[in-house]
Amino acid sequence: MVNIFVLIKQVPSTHNLEIDKKTGALIREGIETIINPDDLYALELGLGLKEKYGGNITAVTMGPPQAEISLRECLAMGIDDAIHVCDQIFAYSDTFQTTLVLKEVFDKIKDYDIIITGSQTSDSSTGQVPYQLSEALDIPLITDIFSIELKNGFVECQRNFGHESQNIQVELPILLRVRKHFNEPRHLSLLGIKKAFEKKIIKMDFNALNCPNFIDGCNKSPTKVVKTAKISLQRKNEVIEGTTSDKIQKILDIIQEHGIEKIWVGEK
Amino acid sequence: MATINESTQEGMKPKSNLDEFDKEKAQNFSTIFNVESNDQMKLLRYGIRKFAENILIPMAPTVDREAIFSWETAKELAKINAWGIEIPEKYGGAQLDSLSYAITIEEISRACASTGLNVSAHNSLGVYPLIKWGTVIQKEKYLPDLAIGKKIAGFAMTEPNAGSDVRRINCLAKQIDKGFLLNGSKIFVTNGGIASILIVISRYKTKNGKEGMAAFILDKNMEGYEIGKIEEKMGMRGSSTTSIYFKDVFIPEENILGPLSDGFKIAMQTLDVGRLGIAAQALGIAQAAYEHSVKYSKERIQFNKPISSFQGISFKLAEMATKLETARLLVYKVAAMRNISKNISKEVAMSKYYSSKIAREITQEAIQIHGGYGYMKDLPLERFYRDAKACEIYEGTTEIMKIIISQQILRGNM
Repeated sequence: MVNIFVLIKQVPSTHNLEIDKKTGALIREGIETIINPDDLYALELGLGLKEKYGGNITAVTMGPPQAEISLRECLAMGIDDAIHVCDQIFAYSDTFQTTLVLKEVFDKIKDYDIIITGSQTSDSSTGQVPYQLSEALDIPLITDIFSIELKNGFVECQRNFGHESQNIQVELPILLRVRKHFNEPRHLSLLGIKKAFEKKIIKMDFNALNCPNFIDGCNKSPTKVVKTAKISLQRKNEVIEGTTSDKIQKILDIIQEHGIEKIWVGEK
Repeated sequence: MATINESTQEGMKPKSNLDEFDKEKAQNFSTIFNVESNDQMKLLRYGIRKFAENILIPMAPTVDREAIFSWETAKELAKINAWGIEIPEKYGGAQLDSLSYAITIEEISRACASTGLNVSAHNSLGVYPLIKWGTVIQKEKYLPDLAIGKKIAGFAMTEPNAGSDVRRINCLAKQIDKGFLLNGSKIFVTNGGIASILIVISRYKTKNGKEGMAAFILDKNMEGYEIGKIEEKMGMRGSSTTSIYFKDVFIPEENILGPLSDGFKIAMQTLDVGRLGIAAQALGIAQAAYEHSVKYSKERIQFNKPISSFQGISFKLAEMATKLETARLLVYKVAAMRNISKNISKEVAMSKYYSSKIAREITQEAIQIHGGYGYMKDLPLERFYRDAKACEIYEGTTEIMKIIISQQILRGNM
């Protein structure tokens, strides 16, 4: 029986992301939240493995109290249990601090076989946690897998590596980082949604985890997001006046300004 | 028009609905005022909407153009329990309450009204009477297949000469040994072409001469059961509406639904539930038209400005939003009432009347906002309008709704 864990994160829905002009941080209040889209592929892989090989599957998230609804959504998909790691101290942790907390979580769980993550989050796009966590737990990390089979205590998986495909055999426990669009995440069923609210979510905070004092959220995060700015791509419009030959010359000049040296002009 | 007495059910003395509230359950009643902040309702809407946007919206234009029902889609709907919204879990359903039912129908209809009608008619008109009046044997026999959409259910009451005037139905089931022999025909049967199980409201005559109205469970494989042509409709074209003919169909006794003489009562109470589904459908269609209108009016530039900056357009948006909000509150109130109150005839008639009215108005104004583009088939606006119109007609016209409401008021249920 395999014990599967999927790491998920609640992120703001990507429509209408706004940045606070004063603090330069994402405005998270009042914004619709979703499960990080990449994590859905991780959840689907986990559910598929459970259906094929049996066992138990748990979703884990670290986040503010409102992240609970994302765990409910996991439960509605068919996940068995949910762990909500939540404490004011963990607020604004960077990936490194997040990893340290997750290490405490898995040290407490002890009995884990497969931990699955998405490739990166849509709100910070670092993709660092799976690498750091595999180091912290000292278990192998396999990325970009596209097929996986469990065989008596070890795992056989295929992964894409550049232009080659690798067949990898590895012993449990392992950490998997799945690629986007690697499967088709299932929809929520009405029964699943109902059942999701009948289950109890396991809460873990700083004290419950008995966290060491080097865990201190943003205070001990080695990286800090100093400012976030919105990139807007806009076409530049310029009206060129003059005679036709003037206009052509002006256009050629502009093209040359952009570093294109040779221009071939067709003749009648 | 003939006189109608839909709400004069035997033994039903209307009084204030509040008298019938179960106080414990009534606590949940307040949910309707904060559906948007109730996590379970929020997740339900989110889940169904995501499904509808991925699966139903892409195929909705084809469903309408070609007037098709897709069994592939039916399988997808089965995965989310859409065919068994209120069916008990032990029979494979989701066993949810009316509010969840209304939101599900609303969200499906927002994407594809025809699919909303398929699902709504199946759940409310076909399945609900089985849950409410079916015997354990009947439930065990029919509900598991119906819960997963392996079989679709429908409801047959309307006849060529008995539309609003239900008491004029002509179908007759004569008692013979071990059952009844049914003759007659039904028209405008929703899901008629796809339903394997049909609840049929018919007159009956027993051996000893007793007459009345009964509800029977018919299987399309019964000998003498014949499906007529599929009607060409203005809207709701993905819903298969047909005539059904009965020629000496033998109905065994075990296929009587509820007490034999309760046919009329069963029909009326079933329609109350059906009308909630129609109100939710109209809400979904109106919501879709409204969302398109807001988006388009912000993007469409005329006279160097988005057209939403003109009051002629923005006031339309304001009216749409207000009507939607009002209709939604009423639909959810009726849904919540259904969980705790026996008599919802008046309120459900109000919500069907009002939702279908505002859906027609909103879809019409949505076309106006889109101008020429709205009139073209490339955009779904004209489809919304055609679909919305049906809601004012089927399962009791707006005029019948007003008769029910006024009768209840005048009999003291104010």
